[in-house]
Amino acid sequence: MDSTTINKNSVLYTLLNQYPLGDNISECLTCGACNSRCTWFDGEGGPLPRQIIRMAALGLDEALVKTSMIWDCLLCNRCTEVCPMGITMDKVVRKARSLAIADDKIPGDIKKGIKNRLELGDVNGLTKEEFVETVEFVSEEFIDEVNDPLAHIPYDQKGAKLLYLPNPRELGINLMHLTAMAKLFYASKQTWTLSSRHTDVTNWGYFVGKDEVAKQMALMVVEPAEELQIETLVLSECGHGYHVLKYLLEDLIGRKPEFEVLSMPELLVRYAEKGILKFDPSVHPYKIAYHDPCNIARKSGGYDAPRQLLSMVCDGVAELTPNREDGICCGGGGGALQDSTATKKRMITGKPKADQMKRAGLPNLATACLSCHRQLGELSAHFKLGIKVVTVASLASESLIL
Amino acid sequence: MEKIIPNILIIGGGVAGMAAAQALSDQDVVIHVVEKETALGGHAAQWACMATQTCENCGACLSIETASLVQKQKNVKLHLHTMVDHIEKKDQGYMVVLENNDSFIIQKIIMASGFSPFDPQKTPSLHYGTCPNVITTAELNTFLKNESISGLLKDRPEPKIAFIQCVGSRNRDKGRDYCSQVCCKISMRQAHKLTHLYPKADITLFYMDLQIIGKEIRTFYNALSKKISLVQGVPAEILENPDTHLPTLVTEDKTTQSRVARSFDLIVLSVGLLPSKTLEKTSGILDLTPNSWGFFNTDNAVVSKDVFIAGCAGGPKDILSSQQEGRIAAQKAVEALGLDTRAKIPVAVFGDGHEADQTALTLALKGYPAYLFGNGAGLAKDAPVTVFKDAGPISISGTAGNFSIHYKSDNLNRHLKCAAIVAAAKPLQSMNTPKGKIDKILSLDEFSHMIEKTPEKCPERGIILMDYSGPAYKSSARLALSAGLKAREAGKDIAVIMNKMLVHGALGQRLYDEARRLGIDFFRYETPEDLTIEDSGQGFRIRLKEATLPSVFLDLSCDALILPHTVSPAKGFGDLACLLRQPLDKEGFLQSANTRHRPTQSLRKGIFFAGTCHDETDPDDFNHELDEISSLLSTQDFSLPATDPGVEINQKKCAQCLTCIRICPHNAIVMNEKSRPEIVPDSCFSCHLCVSNCPAYAIESKTMANDQVAGLVQKGAVTVFACERSAALAAGNLSLPDHIRLIPIPCACRISSDIILKALLNGASKVIVCGCHPENCKSHKGSRVASDSVQKVLSVPGVNQAGIVFEPVAANETAKFERIISKAKE
Repeated sequence: MDSTTINKNSVLYTLLNQYPLGDNISECLTCGACNSRCTWFDGEGGPLPRQIIRMAALGLDEALVKTSMIWDCLLCNRCTEVCPMGITMDKVVRKARSLAIADDKIPGDIKKGIKNRLELGDVNGLTKEEFVETVEFVSEEFIDEVNDPLAHIPYDQKGAKLLYLPNPRELGINLMHLTAMAKLFYASKQTWTLSSRHTDVTNWGYFVGKDEVAKQMALMVVEPAEELQIETLVLSECGHGYHVLKYLLEDLIGRKPEFEVLSMPELLVRYAEKGILKFDPSVHPYKIAYHDPCNIARKSGGYDAPRQLLSMVCDGVAELTPNREDGICCGGGGGALQDSTATKKRMITGKPKADQMKRAGLPNLATACLSCHRQLGELSAHFKLGIKVVTVASLASESLIL
Repeated sequence: MEKIIPNILIIGGGVAGMAAAQALSDQDVVIHVVEKETALGGHAAQWACMATQTCENCGACLSIETASLVQKQKNVKLHLHTMVDHIEKKDQGYMVVLENNDSFIIQKIIMASGFSPFDPQKTPSLHYGTCPNVITTAELNTFLKNESISGLLKDRPEPKIAFIQCVGSRNRDKGRDYCSQVCCKISMRQAHKLTHLYPKADITLFYMDLQIIGKEIRTFYNALSKKISLVQGVPAEILENPDTHLPTLVTEDKTTQSRVARSFDLIVLSVGLLPSKTLEKTSGILDLTPNSWGFFNTDNAVVSKDVFIAGCAGGPKDILSSQQEGRIAAQKAVEALGLDTRAKIPVAVFGDGHEADQTALTLALKGYPAYLFGNGAGLAKDAPVTVFKDAGPISISGTAGNFSIHYKSDNLNRHLKCAAIVAAAKPLQSMNTPKGKIDKILSLDEFSHMIEKTPEKCPERGIILMDYSGPAYKSSARLALSAGLKAREAGKDIAVIMNKMLVHGALGQRLYDEARRLGIDFFRYETPEDLTIEDSGQGFRIRLKEATLPSVFLDLSCDALILPHTVSPAKGFGDLACLLRQPLDKEGFLQSANTRHRPTQSLRKGIFFAGTCHDETDPDDFNHELDEISSLLSTQDFSLPATDPGVEINQKKCAQCLTCIRICPHNAIVMNEKSRPEIVPDSCFSCHLCVSNCPAYAIESKTMANDQVAGLVQKGAVTVFACERSAALAAGNLSLPDHIRLIPIPCACRISSDIILKALLNGASKVIVCGCHPENCKSHKGSRVASDSVQKVLSVPGVNQAGIVFEPVAANETAKFERIISKAKE
C-alpha cells in the first residue's frame, strides 16, 4: 500500500481553501453521511465520497487523482444534501478534475467536445454552414406542419425578444425536439431567434472543472446574445447548462448579463399564466411521473417550474419517492453521458433510478433535462422497464392549443 | 403572626421534576406539580428495562418508583393532564392559572419541561414513517417494554438489525450543532438487550463518535464490542430493496474499496433530544429566552431569578443527571426562599489532591464545618478547612449524623465526630506510552500548561494521541480540544489522532467544529496496531492507517507527541473502601449506591463520593456533584427523630455472633455501649436482610416475621413475593386473576428458604419470588440472597422443581410480570 504525507501547500488544498465558510473541506466531520448517498453501489469501483473529501482536505492531490473517483463522481450533490457541515461535493470534485496532474484523466470525448465548442461554437463540431443547413431543413418541415409561411425558424435576428439556446441533440439526432420547441415559440407570437455563433446550451468546461474554460464558453453565449439585444435567453432543457448559465453565470463572468435567463419550462409556465399560451391537458389523459434533474433541482433550486408545466399538460404529476432534494440521480451526470466509454458505468449508477422507476409502476416519465432524458430512456431499455421517457417541454408542445 | 407557607411550582412531572419534588419532601412548602400527561413519569416511564443478566444502569425504572413516591408525598399537589395557561406577577409572588382553570399563588418556579425526541420525518431521506421496519430508539423502547419485539422481527431467529446514531443531532447545517448526550448509551444498551433476546442476531451500530463516557459504559462497551459490529460512519439515507422491500443502507466497504448495499430486518434510528414541544410556549409565559437550540444550557439563554431550570429543559441529559439537577434546583429554591435555616453539620473529607481540597473548601464556604483528611496542598493557608495532614483514619464507627472517625496523629489515638463523610480520593494518573521505550513524550497536561504559560516553548508541530490505551476520558478529550485550539491560535500545527472525539456537554460539538475550522487536523484509527511510532531524533514519525482512508498509509511527523493521562484506581482505594465499608466496582473505583441511582451517595447513609475516585467526571460534573451533596446535606436532616424501621434486635435471643453487623448493606447496625448490636433506625432501610439471616432468629420484624409473611399465602394460589420497589410496582394497577396471590415485601432478601417452605406448607401452589435485577437492589445483595434462597429450597429432595422460581422484575417491566404470572398458570 502506498504511503503519502499530508500537504497543506498542495494545489487542490489551496484552491479549495479559497472558498468561504460552509465550503471549507477541513471542517469535514468524518461522519460518513455522504457515503450512504451516492447512487453508485453494488458494482466495482465508484466514488467514495468521504475519501474524496478527506484526500482533498489533507492535500493528497496525487493519491486522489490516481483513483478513478473524481471522474466516477456524477457531480449530483446527493451527498452534499446530507452533509452536516454543508461541504459541496461538486466544487471539490470539479477542482480536483481541474488539476493539471489530472489532465490525462479527462475522457477523450469530452476533450474533443470542448475543442469543438471553443473552435466552432458547437460540441459536436457543427460548422456554421451545417448549422444553417440544419435549421433551414427543420424550418421547412415546420412550415409544412403548421401550414404557415411565417412560421420559419429564425436565426441571428437582432432585436428578437427571445434567444433560444438548443441542446446539441436538437441539432443532431433529435431534430423533432427542435420542431416541437419551434411550435411553442410560434404559438406564443413572440419574436425569437437562434444564434449561429454559439449553437448550444452546453458548457463542458463545467465538467472538467476549469473555470476559465467554463467562463470562456459562457461568454460565447453571453456576448453574442447581448449583441443581438435580446430580452430573454431561453435555455433548452439541459441540466448542467441551466446550472451554469442561470445559477453560476454571474459568479463565472463576474457581472450581470444584459438579459434574463429562463429555462424552457420556466418561460412556458410564465406564458401560460399570462394567457399567452394555452394547453390542453386532455392530450395526455394520464398521470406522468417527474424526475428531478440534479443540476436543475438540487443544485439550482429549480423544483417547481417543470412540475407546474407538467401539471398543465397532462392529468397530473406523479411524484417519485424520494424526490426533490433527495431525488435519485439518473446516473448519467457529471460528464458520464458525454463519455462514450462510460456506458457500462451508467447502467450501474442508474440502477437505483431504474429500481425507483420500476417501483413507481407508471408507464410515462418526464424530465426537464435532455441528458437525463437520454439516460432514463437507456435505463428503461436496459432494464426492460417499458417506460416512455419524455421531456416536459415536448409534452407541452404536444398539448399546445394553437 | 401566621406563618406563610411558600408555594413552589414545578413545571413537568418527569424525572427532573419528580426529583425536585422529592427533594422538597421534608420542607415546609407546598409543591404544585403540573404535568401535561395523565400520569407522572415523563418519557422515562415509557421506557424499557435494559437489564440482561444484571441491571445495566439505564435508570428508567426509577421514574416509576419516584412517581409512586411523589404521588404519596404529603406536600405535593398534582395537576395532571393540564398545562400552565398564564402567570401573573402579584405582590406575594405569581398567580398561576392552568388550562383547566385551576389557579394558585406561588413564589418560585422549577422549570423541568423535559425534551421531545427528534422526529425523523423531518429528514425525508430516512423514509421513516413509510417503512415499517424503520423505527426510533423511543419506539424500540416501547416494543421492548411491551415484549412485542418478536412481532416486529417476524420471529426471525437471526435478525439483522442496524442502529444509526446522531439522527437529528450534531448537525450544524440544520442548526443543531450539539450532541444529544444520551443516544449512544441508549443504543448500546438496546443493542445489548437485543443480543440477550436474540443471541444469534447480527447487529451493526453505525456511529459518528461513540460517546464512551462513564465507568459503566466503559466496561459495558468492552463487552458489547465483542457481540456486535461497531462501524464508524452514519448512513443518512435508507433505501428500500426493490425485491425484498427491506430497508437498505449503502456503506463503504473498506476491503473492496467500493460501496455496498446492506439490507436489514430492522433499522433503529437513534434520535436526538430536542427541547420539549411545549417549551417555547412555557418560556413565553415565564418571560424566559432560550438559546438558538431552544435550551437553557448556554450563557445567552435568559432565566429570571425566580425560575430554576432542571433536567432536559437545560439541555440534553440522561436520567440520573436530570434527577441530580432536579435535586439541585430544589435546593436553590429552598435557599432563595430563605428556608435553609438548618444547622450546618460537620463534614469530613477524605483524599489528597485537588478534588478533595475543592470538596472541603466548597462545603466550608457553604457553612459546613469541614475537616480534611489529606494533604490539603492546594488549599490557601487561611482556607476555612481544618486539615489533618499526617493523620491516617483507622476506623469509622457510628452512623449518619453521628460518625466517629478514629485516627492517629502524633502517635496518639484521636477521634473526630462528624455527621457526614465525603470521599474524594485521588486516582492514579499515568501515561501508557507506545511500545518501545519512547521518552520525550509530553503529557497533555504539560502541553496545556505550556501553551498557557510559556507558549514560546511550545513545539511547532504537535500531535495529540488519544485513546491509545483504551477510550480516553472526557476531560482529556476536552483538554485536547481547548489546548489544541490555543496552540493553533498561537500559530502552531496541531493534529489529533483519535479513535473517537467526545463531544459531551452543551458546547462540545461547537468546540470540535471550531477546532476543525481553524485547521487542527483530526485523524481516526481503529486499533493501536494501525499506528507505528518512531523516534526521529528531533521528534516523531508516525505511520498511520487512517480509518477513513484505507487505501493509503499516512506519514506524519511532529516535534512533540502529546498523550493524555489515563486514570486508574489508586492503591489506597481498597483500604478506603474497607474503611468506609463500601464495595469497589469492577475496575476498582468506589461504587456509589446500588447502580448509582443516587450518583454521589453510597449505600451507607451519610457517606458520599465526589469526583474521579468513583466515576469519570469533568469539572462540570464535579461541581454538580458538590452541589448535589450540599443539597442532600441540607434537605436530608441527619438528626431526624428516629423513624420506626419495623425491625428490632431481641437482645435476649441475640447470640452476639455479629452476623447482622457484617451483612447489613447499609451499615445501620452498630455495637452499642453495652457491646451489643443495635439497629440505628435512621440509617436502616428496612430491607430485612438481617431478619432473614440471623441464625438465632433474634431480629424480629413487626409485620414481616416469617409466620406473618407465610400467613399471607392463599391456599391453592400461586404466591408471588414481590419487592415493593420493583415487581410490586410493575404489578401496579394490574387486576390480578384469583389464582395469583401477590405479597409485597420490602426487599426480596426478606424471602428466606424458611418462608418459601412455610408458604408451600400453607398451601401455595407455586412460589414466585420477584426482586430487582442484580446490581439494582436497594439492599445491594437482596435479589442475590433471594435467588439463593430459592436454589436452597430447590435442592431439598421432593420439592417440585417447577414450583419455585426467582424472577427479577424491574418496576417498569409490567409486561414481563404479566408473562410470568400467566406462565405460572400452566
